Amino acid sequence: MANKYYTPDGFTDQFPGICGFKRELESKLRNLFLLNGYEEIETPGVEYFDVYKEFVKEEELYKFTDSTGRLLCNRYDGTIPAVRFCAGRNESYPVRYSYIENMYRSGKSGGGKLSGFTQGGIELLGAKGARSDAEVLAIAIKSALEMGITDLQVSVGQVEFYKGLMKQLGIDEEIQGKIKNAIANRDSVTIEKLEISSEDKETLLMLTESGGTYEIIDQIRPRVTDKGAIEALDNLKEILDIMARYDFLKYVSIDLSLVESVEYYTGMVFKGYTYEVGFPIISGGRYDDVAKVFGKEIQAVGFSISLTLAITALMRQDKYAPAKGASVIVGGDFEAATAAAEALRAEGTPAILDTTGMTEDELNSYAEDKGIETVMFMNGGNE
Amino acid sequence: MLTIALPKGRLADQTLDIMERAGYDVSAARDKSRKLILEDKEAGLRFILSKPSDVPTYVEYGAADIGVVGKDTLLEEGRQLYEVLDLGLGKCRMCVAGPAELKDKLDEIPNKRVGTKYPNITRNYFEGVRGESVEIIKLNGSVELAPLTGLAEVIVDIVESGRTLYENGLDVLETVAHISARLVVNRVSMKMKEDEIKPMIAKLRQALQQGEENEV
Repeated sequence: MANKYYTPDGFTDQFPGICGFKRELESKLRNLFLLNGYEEIETPGVEYFDVYKEFVKEEELYKFTDSTGRLLCNRYDGTIPAVRFCAGRNESYPVRYSYIENMYRSGKSGGGKLSGFTQGGIELLGAKGARSDAEVLAIAIKSALEMGITDLQVSVGQVEFYKGLMKQLGIDEEIQGKIKNAIANRDSVTIEKLEISSEDKETLLMLTESGGTYEIIDQIRPRVTDKGAIEALDNLKEILDIMARYDFLKYVSIDLSLVESVEYYTGMVFKGYTYEVGFPIISGGRYDDVAKVFGKEIQAVGFSISLTLAITALMRQDKYAPAKGASVIVGGDFEAATAAAEALRAEGTPAILDTTGMTEDELNSYAEDKGIETVMFMNGGNE
Repeated sequence: MLTIALPKGRLADQTLDIMERAGYDVSAARDKSRKLILEDKEAGLRFILSKPSDVPTYVEYGAADIGVVGKDTLLEEGRQLYEVLDLGLGKCRMCVAGPAELKDKLDEIPNKRVGTKYPNITRNYFEGVRGESVEIIKLNGSVELAPLTGLAEVIVDIVESGRTLYENGLDVLETVAHISARLVVNRVSMKMKEDEIKPMIAKLRQALQQGEENEV
């Protein structure tokens, strides 16, 4: 077997120090979610392909079959399994779920973009309106801060604004596709070449250059007549008002060019960024239509944060310290050593018990090699 | 500090000319040594010189904040980047080309074989625009050879003057896209280094407009 020692492309092992650091981040995140009333759920990591086929490109799912030939796939994200779970139960809404799980995405990898990575996230199901949107956004910001990512910028957009604006401008679907890509890529070149009125062009260019908070909303509002688009701007304003109460406005800016996933999202959308990683570490938004695929009407909003990218960022920002192993090793007389190790563990000190019968010198050099601070060598019961 | 990925060669020099006109000190990048990373701490700029088709990769992953790259590479690679400026450099066309006698007769060949360095652009064009399946033969250079040797009926390639085509009895059959060099920006850098990047885009845009006026 030629691949004996290697992990498949796009997948990595977590080394002890990093794994421990990651677990510390996970428990911070878990505490934060529970503190806000988001109960943790665990989905199996294997789903029917049918669960995902409406949402994810076929080639991005890891697929296999069960013993009867039914097509299965690995968990691609936290949201779809949570909605599937929720849709299959009769609950009184709203419900608040959280998860910290590994995700599996096939396709392009390399350069730090992994096929297997860990995400934590929450889903607020059966709740509409800006207050629910803002709750999720606020917890997203808290989750990054909690992990030590303080250089944080979160772009908040509204896909209903874009949809309303397209209706208002009366642009046909073929050109809409072009415009969507151009806005998402901030590609002013394509927009300037469009055959639409110069005023409409200006409005579209405002989307690609949006930033700041209230200013951009006030600036673009007079140009908007579509009811849906106006409501979308009002929604963003209310979200900003609530962010101000958390003192989170410094992390937030409005970005109306967040339109990549207009088919999936149905309201507020956001992405969170930090230094030293080229991809957003946070992604979230409102997705009222997802549950329809499962035959239910559930208004919902959620977000996820990538622990894998967060760790990369923290390492590059010099905010990483590998988790420590045991600080004491006890050896020598086995009976006495066992008692001593148990006594240390009882007071909460991680202690290793030598089970191989090392001499004092061997124990000392082993401890040095493994970075264990204290060596205890027991002389037997006649001290 | 902004990291700028430039494609090695003429395009890099032309880009530096525009940056100079926009008021940036780019003398560090003019260094003709074999260094791959050229840094000017005072100007707050670091240049990396890479193979043109690798520029979008450096920028997408955030190893560079900004890059200069041909639209052909962007179309082929389909990366997640902000594409903010048309630098107007390296203008050419992406074309379907083939024997001159095929002009206006492209529809008459069933099951075409297409030789190209750009399999994604070719697939998108034939499937998306022309609505037909084709057999794509990926080649790495001298694509004109394919129709001459019978390896393929037609090719999809970049055409500048068209001289290579004409001298070999080939001609442009259809235009797929107009190509020129674009300024691309990493999506995270655009947010996190907004204070440096936005003014740079504005200055470059102004320098380009002045350049155009001077030409007129």
